[in-house]
Amino acid sequence: MVKSTPRNLIMSAVFNGRKGERPAVGNPTSIVCHGLMDAAGVSFPEAHLDAQAMADLALAGHEILGFDTVMPEYSVHQESAALGCEVHWGDRNTMPDAKSSPYADFTDIRIPESVLEKPSMRVVLDALSILRRHVGDRVALFGKVMGPWTLSYHMAGTQNFLLQIGLGEKDKVLRMMRQLMPVTVAFAKAQFQAGADVVVLADHVTGDLAGPYHYEELLLPLHREITQEIGGPLILHVCGNCNDRLELFAQAGFDAYHFEWQMDAKTVVRKVGRLLSLAGCVNNPQVLYQGTPDDVHAQARYAIEAGVNIICPECAIPLATPMENLKAIVAAAHEGY
Amino acid sequence: MAHELGAIKEAVIKGKHGEIEQLVKALIENKVDLQEIINEGMIAAMDEVGRMFSEGEVFVPEMLVSSFTMKKGLDLIKPLIKDEEAESRGTVVMCTVKGDIHDIGKNLVCMMLEGAGFQVIDLGVDTTVEQLMAKVEETRPHMLGLSALLTTTMLEMKTVIDTLESRGLRDRVKVMIGGAPVDAAFAKEIKADGYGKDAVEAVRLARGFTPEKG
Repeated sequence: MVKSTPRNLIMSAVFNGRKGERPAVGNPTSIVCHGLMDAAGVSFPEAHLDAQAMADLALAGHEILGFDTVMPEYSVHQESAALGCEVHWGDRNTMPDAKSSPYADFTDIRIPESVLEKPSMRVVLDALSILRRHVGDRVALFGKVMGPWTLSYHMAGTQNFLLQIGLGEKDKVLRMMRQLMPVTVAFAKAQFQAGADVVVLADHVTGDLAGPYHYEELLLPLHREITQEIGGPLILHVCGNCNDRLELFAQAGFDAYHFEWQMDAKTVVRKVGRLLSLAGCVNNPQVLYQGTPDDVHAQARYAIEAGVNIICPECAIPLATPMENLKAIVAAAHEGY
Repeated sequence: MAHELGAIKEAVIKGKHGEIEQLVKALIENKVDLQEIINEGMIAAMDEVGRMFSEGEVFVPEMLVSSFTMKKGLDLIKPLIKDEEAESRGTVVMCTVKGDIHDIGKNLVCMMLEGAGFQVIDLGVDTTVEQLMAKVEETRPHMLGLSALLTTTMLEMKTVIDTLESRGLRDRVKVMIGGAPVDAAFAKEIKADGYGKDAVEAVRLARGFTPEKG
């Protein structure tokens, strides 16, 4: 049995290794809610823009809610802001949004020479360093980067990017993603250098938008290159129903996959559980946000019994999620296997 | 004739956007009934695209190209149809609700509704209740389509419905909702008239709200 500290439980779970006394509870995506902001004394948007505020809020996920991880990146726009998107950082009640698509014409992307020093990137690296020093060996530290598919949504506009794929503009689409890929790799490597134990790579080639054949033809080869280039453990995050492409994800070289409630945990474990570790999957809108702690407990136990390695919300949670519901995930895991 | 209409249908289904204008022009020159081109070419094609989407045979990129192709064809036909000859299935005001800027799902619903013969008034994203009420008063639509991708904005749908109630407009308009965080139970809870999980279901709902005449 692995010594059951939060960090050990997470790291062992990421590699599908020896079990501890209980399942690991993690947050590959944001668990920030109003209650957590109040408890930490930090709010959005400052937690997107100030390293200490970002770190304080992430730490509250462990110290107040009891998660085994801290993850200090809450938006999907850190990279896109550095690459020229006009980002509105939102407020206490709204997540950041990009207001422009600077490369809608698919011209060559100009990556700033010091892209990692752009404020929206630097803040994440600094927050990770602060957290590493603070949590030491106790808690697992998660970083997060956007993959080239998601970055292309931001650069070209999601509908425009998908239209080009539909129009068969394969070269155009691939050129954009290849130009963006170095940002994903450099940011992930920098996050490991800053102290991250694991980096989540979010790339939204979701079943709601694209087909498995699009993933296989356009993105899987890039994912293979990315996972080869990055030395540390990686969790792939793709929202939506991805049942039809799980086996393809398993071929990409990621250590784990973070999945949504739309996919049955038992089915996901059966399909790819031997090839990938799995993180999931308490439903956000109906259960974490609108349900009761008992509803959350039932879903978390279902995931544990299915054999999911890291128990967590399915995606970034609604900001009005009650804290008791987040604590119910932790309580379910603390009951053990 | 059936062959030419079939070619148009195939062009839309397969997203042959480079060929559609030539095909439509040929039919227009041959004095083919314009409404027939729309109904048996375009609408029939989008019905088939919708079926393929529902069954996971195609995804959003292909749907976008089919819609793009259809629009190129419709743009040639529409100016030739006199107002009194236009056969609209009904008017739908569509929007993504206040605080939400996600619009692909909403855009697909707009395209599919147009493809199905509805007149669509698209108010875009981040639409306030006041903008919606003004448009409902002005255009007297048969339906209102509300979209949201965020759990933080889905409750705005309830605000819209409550405001329709309080202003005495609710009985005039059917309200359908859609978007990732909502479902049929939520639609019932906020007293919407229907929920569509995707663009195809939205068209099905809209057709149900406006039965064909005759």
